[in-house]
Amino acid sequence: MKYMIMMFGGLGAATQDRSAEWIAGMHELLMKLDTELKESGECVASDALADPSQAKTVRFTNGAPVPTDGPFAEVKESLAGYWIVDADEDRALQIASRVVGYTEYPMEVRRIMDHSAQP
Amino acid sequence: MNGQHRIEDLLRELAPQVLAALVRRCGQFDACEDAVQEALLAATLQWPAEEVPDRPRSWLLTVASRALVDAWRADSARRRRETAAALDPTGHAPAADPTLVPGGGLAGADRDGTLALLFLCCHPALSPPSQLALTLRAAGGLATAHIAAAFLVPEATIAKRIARAKQRIRAAGARFELPAQPQRTERLGVVLHVLYLIFNEGYTTSSGPALQRPDLTTEAIRLARLLHRLLPGEAEAAGLLALMLLTDARRAARTGADGRIVPLADQRRDLWDRAAIAEGQAILTGTLGTGPVGPYQLQAAIAALHDEAPTAEATDWPQILALYDVLTTVAPGPVVTLSRAVALAMVHGPTAGLALLGTLDSDDRMAHTHRLEAVRAHLLEQTGDTTAARRCYLQAATMTASLPEQRYLELRAARLHHPAPPASSGAELSFAAAGGLVERGRITAGGDGRPSRPCHRRW
Repeated sequence: MKYMIMMFGGLGAATQDRSAEWIAGMHELLMKLDTELKESGECVASDALADPSQAKTVRFTNGAPVPTDGPFAEVKESLAGYWIVDADEDRALQIASRVVGYTEYPMEVRRIMDHSAQP
Repeated sequence: MNGQHRIEDLLRELAPQVLAALVRRCGQFDACEDAVQEALLAATLQWPAEEVPDRPRSWLLTVASRALVDAWRADSARRRRETAAALDPTGHAPAADPTLVPGGGLAGADRDGTLALLFLCCHPALSPPSQLALTLRAAGGLATAHIAAAFLVPEATIAKRIARAKQRIRAAGARFELPAQPQRTERLGVVLHVLYLIFNEGYTTSSGPALQRPDLTTEAIRLARLLHRLLPGEAEAAGLLALMLLTDARRAARTGADGRIVPLADQRRDLWDRAAIAEGQAILTGTLGTGPVGPYQLQAAIAALHDEAPTAEATDWPQILALYDVLTTVAPGPVVTLSRAVALAMVHGPTAGLALLGTLDSDDRMAHTHRLEAVRAHLLEQTGDTTAARRCYLQAATMTASLPEQRYLELRAARLHHPAPPASSGAELSFAAAGGLVERGRITAGGDGRPSRPCHRRW
């Protein structure tokens, strides 16, 4: 089973008033967790996305695709980063809980669809 | 392990020579390149188990020729004529092995062949990502899987990129030969630029979680060394090698144990690689004044001044500013202006630096880089305007696509928000940190030169 563990853009704004020590601690936690998941072989993929303020959205406008500045969703709902882990749901929730326990900011855990027909 | 390394070094050294020899004999760069890859793979598998053959170059050439013939046979009978020519032992006797020792001199034909190969891999018809991939494989002897790991992309992506690059070279009618003047100088510029991009790719991404990434900076230095040996009289080729050595010398001090960026001013200078610095200085000293001074030599001279300072405070900023003045006339560009603003601030105060930065605000080429705001933040912090500095740090943090830099910028912003008790890091120190940012700046035209970034609005 694969799960995508998602972090959202609101985290950035929520951390801006934190102290340097707190932010350093968060960076440390994220990097440590990333290394752990890669070393344990659970991590299928992981990436952080550039700030949503740098995003472009392509919309179909007046019969043609038109790129515009800004993300599709509100910044706080916009995807900021993810892990895809090969693990069961309990483990995926456990991983997300470690981050949320520190950041106090919500994360979403979703099952990735299988390509094969399930028995 | 050591023997394994020695074999690897030898293979990488011989790869471009064998490829050049094969192409000269048989033509068909793309098929020859595949054949040499097969020969390298065979050597990797066989040599450690058995023994390095007495004439490794001939061994590789023989195996590659066989692989080429096999490919032709499989291809069609229409190539029979060429097969016969490739196998003809009388027509083109393989040259004796000139380089059994890595770093040895190159005879005329091998020298020209390797050079022609570099020129071909860096053909102007190719996109920079293709130039980089092809150069690493054909001239650097790296396997596709290694290149893919270095750029953190799937192997299939690099394989396709290389295949497309070879098609393009064929379609462009590119010849396997040394370009004649006046194109030669221009084409050499592209080769230097490609090596510079390989170095930058490795240098700017070498921080971050320690994954198994083949070292692109080491590879770029190896190729720059090769180029310098092939063209000892080219001052800019020497300048590029010196620049790489003098910059890479600081690598161990650039990131903390946790992968965090350590700016130049805060780096532990005892971690700098003294041997690399000495070598870079020697190459630079032997080069300056022998030819027209170019951007690589000037940047190397600036890097040398940083390397020579026993402490950040002892940095010879007036001399660095003077070199940036020359650089501004030789290779003007927004990134040079940005770096010059830092030097200007160190010599004449932050207000002077900020004024120069102001001239970049309307420059479209700076619209998509975080560096302008990052440097402005450092200079504002020096003036004592922490509110504006914090705003600029946060703005820069939203603009960067580099995770370590984003973390560094967020931390600096946070530090201003919750001022730590005045410890060792006074304003002077944090100000000099701007040099650490600019140190990674690139002077080449055409954006920031990151090869793997997809282009926006390309329709």
